[in-house]
Amino acid sequence: MFCSDEFIRPPRGTIEAMSFIARYYAPSIFMRCGCDAKRRMANFLMNNAIQVTNLRRVYKSYVGVFRRKLKEVEAVKGISFEVAAGELFGILGPNGAGKTTTVKMLTTLLLPTSGTATILGHDVVRDVSALRPRIGFIFGGERGLYWRLSGMDNLKYFSSLYQIDPAVQAKRIPYLLELVGLKERANEKVEGYSRGMKQRLHIARTLLNDPEVMFLDEPSIGLDPVAARDIRRVVRDLRDEKKTILLTTHYMFEADELCKRIAVINKGEIVALDTPANLKRVVQDLSVVELEVKMFTPDALERLKGLPFVDAVTVQEREQNSLVIVQSPRGAEAVSELLAQLNGATVQKVTVREPTLEDAYVRLVEGMDETKKEGAGSK
Amino acid sequence: MHQLITNLKLFWQGAALSYVALFSWLRPTTFLASMIIFPLGQILFFTLLGIFATGRDSASFYLIGNAMQITASAGIFGVTMAIGGERWAGTLMYLFGAPANRLTIFAGRATIHIFNGVVQVLMGLAWGLVLGWVSFAHTDPLALGITILIATFSTAALGLLLGCLGLVTLNIMFINNLVYFLLLLFSGANLPITALPQWMQYISWSLPLTRGIAAARFIVDGASLAEVAPLLVGEFFIGVGYLVAGYVLFRIFEIEAKRRGTLEAF
Repeated sequence: MFCSDEFIRPPRGTIEAMSFIARYYAPSIFMRCGCDAKRRMANFLMNNAIQVTNLRRVYKSYVGVFRRKLKEVEAVKGISFEVAAGELFGILGPNGAGKTTTVKMLTTLLLPTSGTATILGHDVVRDVSALRPRIGFIFGGERGLYWRLSGMDNLKYFSSLYQIDPAVQAKRIPYLLELVGLKERANEKVEGYSRGMKQRLHIARTLLNDPEVMFLDEPSIGLDPVAARDIRRVVRDLRDEKKTILLTTHYMFEADELCKRIAVINKGEIVALDTPANLKRVVQDLSVVELEVKMFTPDALERLKGLPFVDAVTVQEREQNSLVIVQSPRGAEAVSELLAQLNGATVQKVTVREPTLEDAYVRLVEGMDETKKEGAGSK
Repeated sequence: MHQLITNLKLFWQGAALSYVALFSWLRPTTFLASMIIFPLGQILFFTLLGIFATGRDSASFYLIGNAMQITASAGIFGVTMAIGGERWAGTLMYLFGAPANRLTIFAGRATIHIFNGVVQVLMGLAWGLVLGWVSFAHTDPLALGITILIATFSTAALGLLLGCLGLVTLNIMFINNLVYFLLLLFSGANLPITALPQWMQYISWSLPLTRGIAAARFIVDGASLAEVAPLLVGEFFIGVGYLVAGYVLFRIFEIEAKRRGTLEAF
């Protein structure tokens, strides 16, 4: 796991030393005590809004009709992280990495198999009734709203679920509709809303109870670029209001733009946790060669992956061609050898660029997969 | 006092909006048809069939039985959709993730459907009056109103129980239709309970509506509220029993969904 050295720097001076002791040692003493009040005190001292420790979730299901066989899938494999109050923390990962399962556990919708998680000092399993009024959450996609109701009525209905006084609703709902840019269409039925509008309404819904901690699970998934930009604008505004936000996404630029720290999760494990800038350093020794190729074949992909100086290869299928992204320490020098592996294909464009967070992500995720394959192969 | 008024406002807000949100086939024409045409259809069919089989004198028996049984339309189909519809709307996660009192949510879903059920029964009785199949000359209207309300409540409570099944099954409409027709048979709407085999009578008395229909017939014939009180108390507690069973099932499904991770599968 990659960690910022900011957190392990030794203290300087008496006051800083005392602060260090208060932040690092006192919480651990309280944590060991186990009781809720002391755990809350520990989190308070650490100023952590979210504290996750060895969180694990196993899904069990049965396959077959007559000979039913138990199938277990470990979706989250004992992850640990903490989010400071007012921080926008990102969880990045491919589909099926365990992002949504993690969010569900943290929002009291799913019981962990083992491990603990506290939000604002409340245990997500034991302090559910105290925790729920203080958090808000959305899951990506269009569902989760009442399409036959107007945007305004949706917010009124969810307000009643959060026991928000009608007098407060009368002020807060118009404010939130304005915040998410839906004021003009507040009285139209949600069934007529675009996907982006529905997602913005979801954000307004999440803010109804003025939550201290928000969980946004892929809020911009499936949105067009303009709608996604609107969502990022709203999230940025919330970040500026010092809301604690846990954002999951698989859009790197989104995480890069918004998050203070990012945990990269793959197959239920955190493979890296750091600031976007530090994560990019994972690939600072690499350059990225992008090849726009027509008629790109799986054989060519295997040949590229087999080259000793190629670190990772990803392919994005487009309407007219394939975008082949190659990470290599040799950068521009590798281009001629890469092109030689594409015999039969038409290369339309070649670009050599600096690596981005996305490239770091690919290296981290693919690197983990490769390590596992090698480990399995050597057994 | 202020808190009580606020809570009542919130309850009503939740009940009214969930009704509009989840009664998804509700269009003005469909709604009016369900309130006016549907009661007429059921009454015409069964009362005419009853008159054909047993003579003109028994018209009021069939009319009152079927007018009361019509409440199952709102109580079962409507309430089932109000609970099970969350599954289709994809809102279960937000519902279960909210701090609202579960009993309030649960009971709130039936409130307006009870009102609908009462209107449908009254419409059915009105059709009977228009068609000359029933007379209310000796009827205590207050007693009849209370009887209709209690029978509608107990039927809606059965609907809440079935609605919980709607959270975990795709075939809730099949179950609804089956229960609706079983009520036609077992509630005494079209057959005297005493004409049923003994084991069927046990089923009859364990279902909502049976006591309500019997009480309504007595009241239309001139009985007082006190005379039918035992039947109404029984009907009420049958409703409470189904309400409690439905609520317990609702909570079990919620807890199991959290444990097994099947919330999104609902």
